[in-house]
Amino acid sequence: MDSQKVDMFIIANSKYFESHQVIQVRDKLLQMDDSKWGIVQTLQFKDPTISLIVSLVAGSLGIDRFLIGDTGLGIGKLLTCGGLGLWAIIDWFLIMEATREKNMDNLQRIL
Amino acid sequence: MSFSYGPGDHESEKASNSYLMSLIALIAGLPLPIINLLATGIFYLVNRKSSYFVRWHCTQALLSQFSMLPLNSVAFWWTLSIVFGSEGITNNYVAYIILVLLFNSTEFVATIYTAIQTRKGIHIEWFFYGSITNLICKTKK
Repeated sequence: MDSQKVDMFIIANSKYFESHQVIQVRDKLLQMDDSKWGIVQTLQFKDPTISLIVSLVAGSLGIDRFLIGDTGLGIGKLLTCGGLGLWAIIDWFLIMEATREKNMDNLQRIL
Repeated sequence: MSFSYGPGDHESEKASNSYLMSLIALIAGLPLPIINLLATGIFYLVNRKSSYFVRWHCTQALLSQFSMLPLNSVAFWWTLSIVFGSEGITNNYVAYIILVLLFNSTEFVATIYTAIQTRKGIHIEWFFYGSITNLICKTKK
């Protein structure tokens, strides 16, 4: 694909991925067929900062896990009141990375 | 101490988080001594497939919390037996509490220092714990 388009995509979306994944994303997009560009553009990525804020505010209800698409874990967290508070604390440190991983999974599904 | 490779920014962030989380769990779980161990244990389990640098530091954080558990548990239950039971404060108790406080504060300061240094990508091996971690944590699984 056109490198200018890929660079534009990276500039706009690099915050949604882990720093070490950005190069990988760029390489994959460059190899991608032009026909998939439309689908890539319509992808909605979750913002790691938003999920951190949600985790801080409503982490013990599992809303952060629902937000990034881990429904099973979210229900588990909801029923155990955030793992008696413990899971909620652990997730404050994990949720940003988990969000970026989910974004990467979403992108890889299309590539 | 130098590490076998230079960790990336995302690795140093995760490794530093393992120490920070143990501090937060320690403060949130007071006075129960098991909460921080559980939190560090779960964090280790989540990161067990991460890179070597992250696993290494999660293991060191876990080991440090593991050694605090028996010491703090005895102090906790001894204090409860004095408050609610028939036992009185003895010299042994005072000496033990001073020891526990010294041990805890040393560990607390060491954890903060390590969290700061690890965030910069500097590898910190603690006395004794570092050697055990080297034995437990292997490069390839």
